[in-house]
Amino acid sequence: MSVEDSQALRTAFSARELCKVYETGETQVHALRGVDLEIRAGEVVVLLGPSGSGKSTLLNIVGGLDRATSGDIWYGDTQLNTLDDAELTRFRRANIGFIFQFYNLIPSLTARENVRLVTDISQNPMGAEEALAMVGLAERMDHFPAQLSGGEQQRVAVARAIAKRPGVLLCDEPTGALDSATGVRVLETLERANSELGTTLILITHNAGIAAMADRVFNFLDGRIASIDVNQTRILPSEIKW
Amino acid sequence: MVKSLDIKLLRDLWRMRGQALAISVVIAAAMATFVLSMGVHRSLVETRDAYYDRYHFAEVFASMTRAPRSLVERVEALEGVAEAEGRIQQYATLDLPGRNDSIRAIINSVGDGGATRLNQIVIRRGRGPGIDQAGEVVVDENFAAANGLDLGDEIDAIIYGSQDRLKIVGIGLAPDFIWAIAPGELMPDESRFGIFWMGEKALEAATNRTEAITSLSLTLERGANEQEVIRRLDTLVEPYGGTGAYGREDHASNSFLDNELMQLDGMTKVIPPVFLIVSTFLVYVVLGRMIRTERAEIGLLKAFGYSSAAIGWHYLKFAIAITLMGIVFGSILGWWLGSAMTDLYGEYYRFPFLNYHVSGEVFLGGAALSIASSSLGAIGGVRAAVQLSPAVAMSPPPPPVYRVGVLERLGAKAGFTAVGHMIARHIARWPGRSAITVVGVGLSLGLLFSTVQFVDASRTMLDDFFFRAQRQDLTVTFIEPRNEDVLYELTSIEGVIAVEATRATPVRLSFGSKSERTVIESASADATMMARVDSGGGEVGLPPAGLILSRQLAQQLGVAVGQSVQVELLAGRRITREMKVSATIDELVGTRAYAEEGVLDSLVRDGAPVGSALLRIDPAMRDHIIAELADRPVVLGVTERAAAMRLFQQMVEENILTMVGFYIAFAAAIAVGVVYNGARILFSERAHELATLRVLGYHRSEVATVLLGEIALLVAMALPVGLLMGNGLGQLMAAMFSSDLFRLPFAPSRATYGFSVLVILFAALFTALLVARRVNRLDMVRVLKARE
Repeated sequence: MSVEDSQALRTAFSARELCKVYETGETQVHALRGVDLEIRAGEVVVLLGPSGSGKSTLLNIVGGLDRATSGDIWYGDTQLNTLDDAELTRFRRANIGFIFQFYNLIPSLTARENVRLVTDISQNPMGAEEALAMVGLAERMDHFPAQLSGGEQQRVAVARAIAKRPGVLLCDEPTGALDSATGVRVLETLERANSELGTTLILITHNAGIAAMADRVFNFLDGRIASIDVNQTRILPSEIKW
Repeated sequence: MVKSLDIKLLRDLWRMRGQALAISVVIAAAMATFVLSMGVHRSLVETRDAYYDRYHFAEVFASMTRAPRSLVERVEALEGVAEAEGRIQQYATLDLPGRNDSIRAIINSVGDGGATRLNQIVIRRGRGPGIDQAGEVVVDENFAAANGLDLGDEIDAIIYGSQDRLKIVGIGLAPDFIWAIAPGELMPDESRFGIFWMGEKALEAATNRTEAITSLSLTLERGANEQEVIRRLDTLVEPYGGTGAYGREDHASNSFLDNELMQLDGMTKVIPPVFLIVSTFLVYVVLGRMIRTERAEIGLLKAFGYSSAAIGWHYLKFAIAITLMGIVFGSILGWWLGSAMTDLYGEYYRFPFLNYHVSGEVFLGGAALSIASSSLGAIGGVRAAVQLSPAVAMSPPPPPVYRVGVLERLGAKAGFTAVGHMIARHIARWPGRSAITVVGVGLSLGLLFSTVQFVDASRTMLDDFFFRAQRQDLTVTFIEPRNEDVLYELTSIEGVIAVEATRATPVRLSFGSKSERTVIESASADATMMARVDSGGGEVGLPPAGLILSRQLAQQLGVAVGQSVQVELLAGRRITREMKVSATIDELVGTRAYAEEGVLDSLVRDGAPVGSALLRIDPAMRDHIIAELADRPVVLGVTERAAAMRLFQQMVEENILTMVGFYIAFAAAIAVGVVYNGARILFSERAHELATLRVLGYHRSEVATVLLGEIALLVAMALPVGLLMGNGLGQLMAAMFSSDLFRLPFAPSRATYGFSVLVILFAALFTALLVARRVNRLDMVRVLKARE
């Protein structure tokens, strides 16, 4: 099966004994020390834990930005740790939407063009306008990032991530730089993508309140998943206490 | 306090070594061309002056048919004359074994043992000839070397119509023959034209000129009026068939050397400034970017108490350090190239010594210019660093403001991709820097184009002179003008197909206060072998009355078509007539006048219209014809068009192509320097965006397109700009390199346009790809964790 084909997945990601060691000069940093996990398609998973506990490292490996030092990571039946750079790029292009704390919009492109950056290279994208309408920015499509507020910029980033109808949205502290009201709006758009498009949502946060909107919460400590909390019911973003 | 800043300086230089090196190379090119041309120019001038001074090169010269030796005393008595000396100068035809072409020499009479007061011989080996030793000669060094001749060798020669055997007793040189060309030739050919010196009595005997001379050399007293001396000398010499006295500026050897020096001087004025302008631009761009990225550090340093002056000086030192590297490298390169070029001059010019040395002033001057241009480029950045207040510096810079441009609005309809917008807006956001890349690459193209077109200029000259203007195979020059019988005589030689007469009569043309020594070339109106070809390629026929002047000559005299000039004959009947200028002609070689045979005859009235004969021959009979001509005492020399053409082509290939080779390297260095710095800055500014694109699923090649696309667009814009500048520079250089002797046409071929563009494109592409490789090393994770 090709990496592009993600519709029929029942298991989104599975990992066995995933390790990541960074070599910096003479010291070795063990960022992941044998992580096993299974994430179902359409699930909302929150990664919680202190800085340096391995959340971001896992997210980068899952998103094909980085490679594990050892262990296996699967996306459906595609083994990510065997892909070369070009195949990983194709995997990201087809399946993954990223959202970062600092938006990472291209300052020289308008909101619409930032979204088109992705739709230009996708197989079956929605229109840039449609994606921006989904995040409530239909009126501000022709504004440059510098002309938008932080929350608006992050919503453009969300629109950019969902426009290609990705199988998975990976969010690294998406509300970290936002106030609570704006943060809630961003989380609402993410929740909408999950419920309306069936997108798997993996979300890193320091904000324990956000964990309540997840199906499961992975608690990271020292490069391992220390525990997994399962929420019987997910709350809506508007109900989150900051 | 300063010490830690200096450590930062060294680390900055190391970190930015690629960019620093690229700027250094451009500065090195400026320095090298400056040291090269100034060094060689000064070395040649000093060598020439020392040579002239030590070996008493005369200041005024005159030739005549024959005058009694006693004339010398009368000349010496003229007011303003310091010394005068008379000698016999006689052309001879040589017969070297195994050589089947026309070889000639000019034999100069000298005192016993080669002694003369003026134009002294430098005896390199052997000794001077005995004053009355028949056949003893000193031969010039270049001719001897070119023909494998040495002391004791003997040469058969025809002197003044009779066969003689010459014996080489010395090898030498003299200051009046630094550069020597046979009559009727365009280029010096040391294998076919030699300078000989023979004892006075021996040459008198060989030429039947007892106690007679054919030429005079003079030196002047300090403060003497040269024009006045020439005028009086002319009066004295006229009865003896004088052909007009002249000063150093009209002396063939001296004026050719002057011409070369003028070209070198022109090079100094045009080429190093091009490099300096580019280096100014590069320093401006690189330092400006550096200071923008180090904004927070500058704020911090100021907050710690570093003065604005200390910080400004720190960044200025960065520019100066890069410049110093360029100066050192360029000085060495320039010195070495200058030494090679001086050696080349040594081959073409006959100097007894050629001291190549570059004075400290030249190095200091070049260094001062380089530092001044870099500092000029640094001013903008340094001022920004000085003016930045610590509080402002430590807060992040305001985000750049982008706008949708007018062109883009049109382009958007034509289906610009998002990446296309990124490229277009970035260029528009930094118009100054984009313009510098365009102008910098343009200048490199312009410089390359303007030097490569010299090949075309030479080819055009070759084509005009040898293919359009000359259709004869051989030119036969006579010792003195003959009557038409000689034409029938030549026609009777087996293999000669056609013969035409031509004549070059020495004249002085005057108009108002201006006058010029030149020749009037005459031929019959229906002559077909020698044509006058305009720079446009058209042929200009001889008018039934009046003169045609080369445009250069007309400009020097300030005369226009329809006006009359005074024509003073410098040979035979010394009369002066008014003649109308009936046309001018734009010629590449020489400054001459033309007249129809009959028109000139009515002036000269000597019944000898044949100064030289133009022959068209059967190529299969060439050897036979050359041999037949060599046996005729009236023949002074035979010039072969094909041989002259070969020589010219060889000169073009050796000199011009070598020069073009250098300039390909220099121009490519500019292109590489400009593109490398542009691309590195672009890359550092866009690293964040490029990493974002990679995260979004763009392949490396697609991401590299953003980088390469912008450079490609700027380089594409640079091409027309560069060709435009190249046209300007080329015309400027052609004008600077032109002289009385020849004018370089500006006639670039399509191949030159194509070649120059290709070289620059290749250099730009190579450099851009070098930078684009950095896309492979983009760390997506690290970049995205950071706030931009």
